[in-house]
Amino acid sequence: MEKSKLKKDIVVVYAIALIGLIATLAVYVKHLTPEWKKYQSEFKQYVREKLGEDKARMVEFGVRQIYVKELNRVDRCITCHIGYEWKGLENASNPFKTHPKEILDKHPVQKYGCTICHGGQGYALNKEEAHGFIKHWDEPLLGKELEDIYRPPDRKVLLQMNCNICHRYDTLTPGADYINYAKKLVREKGCRACHKINGRGGVIGPDLTYEGDKAPEQFDYSRIGGYKSVFAWHIAHFKNPKMVSPESIMPEMGFGSREAIALTLLTMSWRKVNLPPEYIPQSSKALADLPTPEEIEKERQMREGEGAFFVNKGCFVCHSISVFGIESAAKIGPDLSNAVEDVQSRFGKTLENFIKEPTGTMAIVLGSQIILSDSEKAQVVELLTKAYEKYRKQQLTSKP
Amino acid sequence: MKFDRRKFLKNFGIGALLLTLVGQIYTWIRSLFPNVSYEGIKRVKIDEPDKIPDGVTFIDDIKTYIFREGKTFYAISGVCTHLGCTVKYVGLSKPKVVKIGGKEVEVKWEFHCPCHGSKFYGDGTNYAGPAPRPLDWVKVEVSPEDGKLVVDFSKKVSQNYKLTV
Amino acid sequence: MAEVKVNGKKLVKRSLFWTWAPRSEKEAGDSIVRNLLLHWFPAKVTLKSLSWGYSLWLGTITATLFLILTLTGVVLMFLYVPSVERAYQSVKDIEYVVSFGWFIRAMHRNSAHLMVAFVFLHMVRVFLTGAYKNGVGAGQNRPLNWIVGVVLLLITLLLSFTGYLLPWDQLAFWAITVGTNIAKNAPIVGEWIRFVLLGGYEIEQNALIRFYVLHCFFLPAAVLVLFSYHMWRIRKDGGLACVDNLVLNQKKEKITDGIKSKTYSLLGLTTGRTVQVEATLIDEEKYTVNSIPFLIRRIGIVMLGTFVFVALISLFIHAPLEEPANPNVTPNPAKAPWYFLWLQELVAITTIRIGGFVINGAFVGGILIPGILVALLAIWPYLDKSSNLSTGVWFSKERTKQNIIFLILCFFVIVLIIIGTYMRGPNWEFYFPWEAWPQLPKKF
Repeated sequence: MEKSKLKKDIVVVYAIALIGLIATLAVYVKHLTPEWKKYQSEFKQYVREKLGEDKARMVEFGVRQIYVKELNRVDRCITCHIGYEWKGLENASNPFKTHPKEILDKHPVQKYGCTICHGGQGYALNKEEAHGFIKHWDEPLLGKELEDIYRPPDRKVLLQMNCNICHRYDTLTPGADYINYAKKLVREKGCRACHKINGRGGVIGPDLTYEGDKAPEQFDYSRIGGYKSVFAWHIAHFKNPKMVSPESIMPEMGFGSREAIALTLLTMSWRKVNLPPEYIPQSSKALADLPTPEEIEKERQMREGEGAFFVNKGCFVCHSISVFGIESAAKIGPDLSNAVEDVQSRFGKTLENFIKEPTGTMAIVLGSQIILSDSEKAQVVELLTKAYEKYRKQQLTSKP
Repeated sequence: MKFDRRKFLKNFGIGALLLTLVGQIYTWIRSLFPNVSYEGIKRVKIDEPDKIPDGVTFIDDIKTYIFREGKTFYAISGVCTHLGCTVKYVGLSKPKVVKIGGKEVEVKWEFHCPCHGSKFYGDGTNYAGPAPRPLDWVKVEVSPEDGKLVVDFSKKVSQNYKLTV
Repeated sequence: MAEVKVNGKKLVKRSLFWTWAPRSEKEAGDSIVRNLLLHWFPAKVTLKSLSWGYSLWLGTITATLFLILTLTGVVLMFLYVPSVERAYQSVKDIEYVVSFGWFIRAMHRNSAHLMVAFVFLHMVRVFLTGAYKNGVGAGQNRPLNWIVGVVLLLITLLLSFTGYLLPWDQLAFWAITVGTNIAKNAPIVGEWIRFVLLGGYEIEQNALIRFYVLHCFFLPAAVLVLFSYHMWRIRKDGGLACVDNLVLNQKKEKITDGIKSKTYSLLGLTTGRTVQVEATLIDEEKYTVNSIPFLIRRIGIVMLGTFVFVALISLFIHAPLEEPANPNVTPNPAKAPWYFLWLQELVAITTIRIGGFVINGAFVGGILIPGILVALLAIWPYLDKSSNLSTGVWFSKERTKQNIIFLILCFFVIVLIIIGTYMRGPNWEFYFPWEAWPQLPKKF
């Protein structure tokens, strides 16, 4: 190497310094022109036009955040959604619009923040990441973007899901009609016959108490077309359980998209969230999501009546046995009152043989869900024969 | 001519180098000045003015006493001007008349500091102990957003700043 | 002091770096040791050592990266909260609301990755030039310095690894889960090491604070100590290995014993028996230049260049942050940082089954193979029997065979890293780079 070359080193130093200066300037440009500054100056301009110079002067620049210590949440949404508390901007478009007042009166922003209801990433300071439709963020904004994917029959219903984080044990939550509807369906369709919900219910299906905490990886999407998500899985599954998971014995209830979305919102709201007591509405009595007296009485009758065996074994989930006063919630199987005759005509074998060697759906059910011992099988035949006698008698008496 | 260009390049190079270094080091220093605060709220929205009780109310979050006299509101900081302890409100069983700034004023309560014994009259004027100056008065305003009374601890106002609604 | 007091200005400038001014040549020689810069660097340096092509300046780049990491790391220490509840949030804050936080964190993260790469490249360079071999100086012990280098490589990996946990996101949590479970498979001490490292059996607050202290104090301190020794040894070993080669070529004679030599300085010479290269060579103006300004300037270029490069890429490559750590859900695929992916690949394919007898791949791939490789690296200089003519020469003919073996090993590691990085999809299944991964489900 020549010495003369070394002398030229100084030029290299300057050249690198120049590149360094450009890089440094780029950092500063990025620092000085964040997205939120644009929104804030637009807001100031907007207020000046709408409400006058005096009010515009009250708009201060800077990052704003709501820190809710109790919920361990930091929400910076109000940096851009700056007009959320302003009077007179009710008709403005987002992000400057005034937040509806009634709901904020009951849920003060300082105590709740934004994302606990709306979803989204409160940390972020740019639209894309704050609205949360990005990799590595699980709680996107429950708003328009999501509506465009799932198309619920009504608008602005998706965020009702988060109402139910606190209002989980309410029977009726004012304003959350989808959640209320879903809770009504849960009662009417007797989901608890198979599933544990809020810690109470049957054991035939999976416990749903914390179903909303399940990770996307825990579902099988192989039979779902289009966009793959837990939300989409639940909707498809509610509409047609067998199609989504063939081995499932969950009955098809004939739900439309309104029912499916309402139930999906409810199911996904069942999450384990540590809430300080003051965030839980109503008195502690409401906490248990207890059954009504009528429900208790009906259940008692079913459990202690003639058909108690079928209730305890879980047969009543699909089958009614009207002569024993057992009414199935789902009614997907035939009434077993006339099983003795019905089995013969459907499967071409006697009830006794069918119970020993079932075919079709019952083969799956009796093979995996409801396991009967030989003596129990005999009991089934005996009881159903008794039911058939009763059924015949009824038939005869009812006929003139 | 050639000499000048060289000199220019040299100065330019050294300038770029220094600017880069200063610019980079400044990022480190600037990052240590927080842009958001996780501390208690300095601006507290209380309630509609007519729902605030007459007399004195202590607002924990910002260590401030707020007073209502009919339609007039004012707030005095409870932070001792000596070394920052929180002063105690002491109601006097018998009002006393004292001279503050040459004027005779009736005093119904006082503030006493537990740390070093400073004492203040009801309007915040210091009269005993090490406190160097009167207690701060804090701005009371009506929120432009929803008409509720707001106490902004970060805004100090002159003594006797009172808000009449 | 009186001698230096020529004018006021000089005194101020000098008194910062010089505590004393020489009155004789002996004193002048001694003074070298007292000068901050000349204590690290020789007074004169050969042109070969200064050239870009011999050393590629990889060590200097690595040291610069460490400096960047220290500076940005100290800043981040002010901003980061090492607690399970606050860690993730504080990193999000660094990304979003701390002024320049995203940039400082990106600098830190990118430097960390580059440092791992450059320590490795530095090692490859030293190997291929046979620079771990002693040359002609008395008291040289380059093999020892090579071992110090290997230890520094390991500490660098540990530094990166401990830094990984701190953001407390999914990436962090599962990388540490896999990493510490590999440690568990070390014979006898494995369980114990994991227990001490995590302060328990689960990755929880105890683990976080331990990794934090290791990352911010113990490991950097160890690097500093070893790096100082590394640099000091270079001086004591007579500078870069290429200098020995220069001497040998010039002399064209076999030297069996070390040469008694002299230490030179800008100020004069002092007689002694410290290790240095042949006086005649260094004296020749043709081969050497003064360290100040030439060596200092080149070091300046490399440091500045490294810094600017890191700053430049940090504008575009931001440090990632995944979902908050969730012990119940393993992301798919869960990948270790790239420099450990070759190990992850090994761990995944080396479980050995002979009849009912099973050896966990975590032991074979995670402990045994890397253990053998590190041990081999450490003792290699003692196995290398080539003559000292191969010291400090790129691709010496004498060492062709061992260079090829070394390169093949490096090649395997790199290939495994590339496979792990680009060709492993969900469930660690193999995908060619042009094959799309199945769409991963989201919550919404």
